[in-house]
Amino acid sequence: MDTRFRHLLLSCAALFNAAVFAQQTDNSDTVITPQPERREISEANIDSENFEIALFAGVISIEDFSSSALLSARLAYHIHANFFVEAAYAQATAGETSFEVLSGGVPLLSDDDRKYRYYNLSVGYNLNGETFLSDRLVLNSSTYFTLGAGSTNFAGDEHFTVSLGAGYRLLLTDYLSVRLELRDQLFNSEIIGQSKTTHNIEYGLGLSVFF
Amino acid sequence: MIIRTLLAPPSSHHVVLVGWLLLLTLWSLACRADELAQVQIQTNYIDMRSGPASSYPVVYVAAKGEWLSVIKRRTNWFKVQTMKGQAGWISQSDLHTTLSSTGAPVRLADGSFDDFTQRDVELSAMAGSFDGVPSLTVVADWVATENINLGIRLTQAVGSFSENQVAMLQLSHTAFPEWRVAPYVMLAAGKIRTLPRGSLVDSGDEARSANVLSIGLGMRYYLSQNFLLKLEYNNLLVKTDRDKNEEVPQWTLGFAIFF
Repeated sequence: MDTRFRHLLLSCAALFNAAVFAQQTDNSDTVITPQPERREISEANIDSENFEIALFAGVISIEDFSSSALLSARLAYHIHANFFVEAAYAQATAGETSFEVLSGGVPLLSDDDRKYRYYNLSVGYNLNGETFLSDRLVLNSSTYFTLGAGSTNFAGDEHFTVSLGAGYRLLLTDYLSVRLELRDQLFNSEIIGQSKTTHNIEYGLGLSVFF
Repeated sequence: MIIRTLLAPPSSHHVVLVGWLLLLTLWSLACRADELAQVQIQTNYIDMRSGPASSYPVVYVAAKGEWLSVIKRRTNWFKVQTMKGQAGWISQSDLHTTLSSTGAPVRLADGSFDDFTQRDVELSAMAGSFDGVPSLTVVADWVATENINLGIRLTQAVGSFSENQVAMLQLSHTAFPEWRVAPYVMLAAGKIRTLPRGSLVDSGDEARSANVLSIGLGMRYYLSQNFLLKLEYNNLLVKTDRDKNEEVPQWTLGFAIFF
């Protein structure tokens, strides 16, 4: 019974393949004529790659709280050859202030409040061009500038944050790129007593994929 | 029965054969899905560039009558390949001068104002002032009809004393969908959550939430491909448990993209 069924299944699969190949053979028959078969263009049969997802690792200098490692994730949508919009999320753990170091371990913030997290929405502008890595090896690249706003959660509070950035994107292939970026995150803070605008400068190296 | 057959001990070489046949079937189907669309050049020539922007250098000039396979798209640029295998990027305006395989002029969505009127989804990001403190607002809209949008509106406003988070369902209506600059009205309802700032927690304030209703007036401007500018004023009525309801004015300016 099993053997019979297996024969039946095999015959079906073989027949189906024969049919598919027969169809393809038909096509190749027509290829002999000067007009090969061509496919109609439509939105559906073009792969569009306008989204870019990126992961960054870098360093952020949190004002008054020394420098820390920063991890960030980005999602960008490219509207135009020059313009894109990007959402970012990043997190770091702040270090110690000079006061904390000098006073011999009096903590200014609890461990939980030391978590530094921000989200941000930016508009970016690309200056597209090429980079000559050697005389023969040329890769597409772009220098870009971003302006954004978001919120930083630090020291137990949310802070409205404006971000200014500049970066360089080197396209290894059409869809894979390496990004180097510098950003300044500005927000008003009263953490150390006086109210002031803090500059929190970060730089990072990222890898991005267009899809 | 099929399951029993497939689960039968793999001692028989039939299993291997079935596997191969299945692979062949998949492969032959995949080959068909891999075929690219072709277009034929009607103008004297089309510049093919090394990247998806007009600032990239021309790497090949494709001549009238040549067929191009369209590989992929980034914004309004298309990666194409000639029959001899030369690849490069052409602009959408150049692509629209070609003819498709059936001989019809090629016309694809380009984020133009015509496409704007056909949009399904609109995503907005706006910054502004919420009762005098800086705020950020994002809105995801479903374009229900050419006049009506239904959306979710989220706002975060961070002040010196407290942080406000607002989540609302929003209905907006425009009487002039065919205008590039068009006014619209908004009606929204949802919840507002107010959190005291960390430095004031000791004062005894606690996070509280309340129902909120909002009416607003906005102006949108179709700027260029897939891009809108938006200016909005909303008046929020917060239903507090005190004697008097609170009114909160909100101004926002931002952009939207559509699909």
